[in-house]
Amino acid sequence: MAEQKLVTITIDGKAYQVPAGENLVDAARNHADNQIPVFCYHPKMAPVGMCRMCLVEMGTPERDPNTREIVHDEDGNVKVRWMPKLQTACTQTVSDGMYIRTTTDQVADARNNVLEFLLTSHPLDCPVCDKGGECALQDLTMAHGPGKTRMVFSEKMHLDKIVPLGDLIVLDEERCIQCARCIRFQDEIVGDDVLAFHERGRTLRIITKSDPGFDTYFSGNTTDICPVGALTTVDFRFGARPWEMTSVPSIDPWDAAGSNISLDMRLDRDFGGRAMIKRVMPRQNEWVNEIWISDKVRFGHHFTRAEERICAPLLRNNGNLNEVSWTEALDTVAGVLKAANGDIGLIVGSGASNEDLWALRQVVNGLGSERLGAWPVTHTGGELIAQVGVGKGTNLGKLGKGDVVLIVASDIEEEVPIWRLRIKQAHDRGAAVIVANARKTRMDDFASHTFRYEAGKAAHWLADLKKSAPEAAEAVKSAANLIILTGAEGLTLEGHAALMQAAANLLIETGHVGKPNNGLLSTFPGANGVGQYYLGYTPEQSVAMAAKPPKVLLVAQADMLADDPSVAAWLDKVETIISFSMLPDGITAKFAKVVLPIQSFAERDGTFTNGERRVQRFYTAQGPMGWSLPLWQIANRLGEKLGQGKAKLSAAAVMKEIAASVPAFEGMDYRALSKVEKQYPDVGGASDSYYYSGTACKNTGGLGVVIPTAADKGETVKAGEVKLPAVPKAGKGEFVIIPSTRLYNREAQFKLSTVVHPRVMVPFAEINSADAAKLGITSGDVVQISANGGSVRVRANVNGGAPEGSVVLPRHLTDEPVPMAITVGQVSKV
Amino acid sequence: MNVIRGFATTFKHLLEEPTTLNYPEQVRPFQERFKGRHHLRRYDNGLEKCIGCALCAAACPADAIWVEAAENTDEERYSPGERYAKTYEINMLRCIFCGYCEDACPTQAIELGHEHRMSFTDRRDAIYTKQMLIDPVPEGGRETPQEVEPGVFTRPIPDMENPL
Repeated sequence: MAEQKLVTITIDGKAYQVPAGENLVDAARNHADNQIPVFCYHPKMAPVGMCRMCLVEMGTPERDPNTREIVHDEDGNVKVRWMPKLQTACTQTVSDGMYIRTTTDQVADARNNVLEFLLTSHPLDCPVCDKGGECALQDLTMAHGPGKTRMVFSEKMHLDKIVPLGDLIVLDEERCIQCARCIRFQDEIVGDDVLAFHERGRTLRIITKSDPGFDTYFSGNTTDICPVGALTTVDFRFGARPWEMTSVPSIDPWDAAGSNISLDMRLDRDFGGRAMIKRVMPRQNEWVNEIWISDKVRFGHHFTRAEERICAPLLRNNGNLNEVSWTEALDTVAGVLKAANGDIGLIVGSGASNEDLWALRQVVNGLGSERLGAWPVTHTGGELIAQVGVGKGTNLGKLGKGDVVLIVASDIEEEVPIWRLRIKQAHDRGAAVIVANARKTRMDDFASHTFRYEAGKAAHWLADLKKSAPEAAEAVKSAANLIILTGAEGLTLEGHAALMQAAANLLIETGHVGKPNNGLLSTFPGANGVGQYYLGYTPEQSVAMAAKPPKVLLVAQADMLADDPSVAAWLDKVETIISFSMLPDGITAKFAKVVLPIQSFAERDGTFTNGERRVQRFYTAQGPMGWSLPLWQIANRLGEKLGQGKAKLSAAAVMKEIAASVPAFEGMDYRALSKVEKQYPDVGGASDSYYYSGTACKNTGGLGVVIPTAADKGETVKAGEVKLPAVPKAGKGEFVIIPSTRLYNREAQFKLSTVVHPRVMVPFAEINSADAAKLGITSGDVVQISANGGSVRVRANVNGGAPEGSVVLPRHLTDEPVPMAITVGQVSKV
Repeated sequence: MNVIRGFATTFKHLLEEPTTLNYPEQVRPFQERFKGRHHLRRYDNGLEKCIGCALCAAACPADAIWVEAAENTDEERYSPGERYAKTYEINMLRCIFCGYCEDACPTQAIELGHEHRMSFTDRRDAIYTKQMLIDPVPEGGRETPQEVEPGVFTRPIPDMENPL
């Protein structure tokens, strides 16, 4: 990076060297430890200068009109020509020789007056307000405001107190100080322009323009950046006072972004007087999620304490599951495993931590089996991520002009919303975003170029980019930085493997490997999809197990039956199934001989490897549900019963073993993973509880460590052969079924968050209008879709979302499973 | 002579009223500001004054108070404001009867009364729940939760007068 140019500014008589072009408010905070108070200014958004809180005195040195020399007074001090009126600091960028005063009476007066003006119509709700205690208006009033009021309470403006903006966020019009942060966040950062000001003057208020209201996946963030308590979430409303809660650092358990979060815990009588998650807040990690999280992360925490949780080991006797002790359950499992003579398979879901994966693998390997399957079998190509994954030091937030992001076969808003948000911003900064998919997705709205290919032919499209999309090929070639992001939508496992290879080849050919902000990304499902690869689990092994079922199958944290209708058939052929599960699912209901209850991410510590290969730590927040244990511990105890050595006492010890045994994790003990460093924009400073007048997102849990790729380490990486797979062809009367992902769905864990239920779509399928006309289907009709030996009834949605001859069928919306990979099936009107 | 003086004192006191009381049959009158056990007050119509803000818990130097809040609706209204105390507990073994909770209360919902005779045979019994602390419904008032007309209680923190 080029050496940053520094300029000298003088704040309150003291000179500081600050980077040129920095915002004055930021510069004062970062370099002069001078917290210029703000309400509307936020470092992540363009300044608007609406609230007038940041008024400062500003001046420039006086120069002699003839000599252009700086004039000094008798004492030898620089004579400053102060501007006659105060200036808003947030709309100024620093320039050389700038003089600022923040402590004069004029400034103090201005701050006092601005606050008094804001308080003329602000209700005295502080005792019941959710923001009370972490409210910028409260604290700035204490610091700069009038000590006494000149207002009569009964003359205050009264507006509506409970205005639902959509299903998740409630607006209190009275508390709003009209800083427009929420509106600007939605517009500038998210790109879902769903909020707006309505009317003028005293009746100015925030409305939602969308139907359904506040239609975005990021609405919760507006409550964080709101400097007052005007926006509250339905989930947390009156849940606790901010000072009562303890923040425990954790990691988003849902997707490959690995957003850093804090679980705010407080005891609750409704949870037996134990600590429970009151709210989920973002935790600053500028490399991963900045200070944003998706609503799924924020509102999807309810499964951790759900009544449905399995609380004791269960053993099947005469067809019924009965509670047994851990000793009995583990003895039974050990007996079954010993009797299997090594004919053992293991399938682990993508939500299991690195420790779990390692500990389970030790057990299975110790019994002479190498069958380690990853679930679900949608994404593959971990070895390519290990070769040419995005370079160490990659930050999506740093992409800009001249850079290219190529997104293939992914509905990224539904799959990894945080990546979608950050790539959208990269697009705003001038990066070219190229989106290729078989159908229209949300990311098309933020794309520089969009391309369509025939369903299932993503790899064909990318492998032959010069012919299929010369424009894209040109852009990729001349890109300063290039990130290729693949999904698996509308692809088979082989299709995704080919796509990954094609992407890797393109990166290697154009030299975009081994550098920060260059390389390969994929929307691996779950929080630890990439970790699975590094610890030896592959989806191909799961496929192999389906073809030749093992005698004993261990299924850990994978709701396999909900993922594809064809799974039940081969699970039937397995003699004994042992399930490690948090919640009852299809396997525990019918197939499992023993069910061992495992703990959720909130009840234990561990690490996840996110899509960018960043290994991040999460901490124990909640007490265990019933007799459940962490998955790694169950595996360790099982190993002990099988004579494989003593069980480890902590997850840290397991991680230490991983660090010593797996080269990729070298040096990654818990201490290394919990290191934090100063980040900009800076959360800390004089007041730890605020982030520029929004709720603090201070990171105390660690920034994580990135696994270097082969290219990072300077090894030569070679392009490989792309094995283009056969694409399913629909015969007469058949359709190509393209399974898609919805962020809000009815997966076993997520459906326990009832607050989000109004936002979950009624099961639907998108059908092309030409096909719909042939079948006599209109939008809203119920259709039956049969494929892979299963069938579901969903509502038809005819709005041009599906290419002709195919049906886009979202996964996990129906109770019955739908296919997880592209296939062919029948569609009929019911 | 000294002997006579001594006996005189003794006989004088024989004739005086005794200073001790026959407790517990007789009870000495309390100072008005005596701080005894807490009461959660109600408005005349039966609604609870407590709005569940937990400032008492925050002010408590002994960490004796536990409050959990919930939202009022017009179908189930406990207090005139937006929020009410779903759980309100005071651990009387921890309480030092300093009265800071009284000072912190924005609605004068919690008041320390004159009741001081509290004894327990079990630690759990020392935790006074909301049911034990709250005043009985005054005459003419209704038990909470009340079903009320929509649009009457619109302020998040009620005015301190008796509603309706």
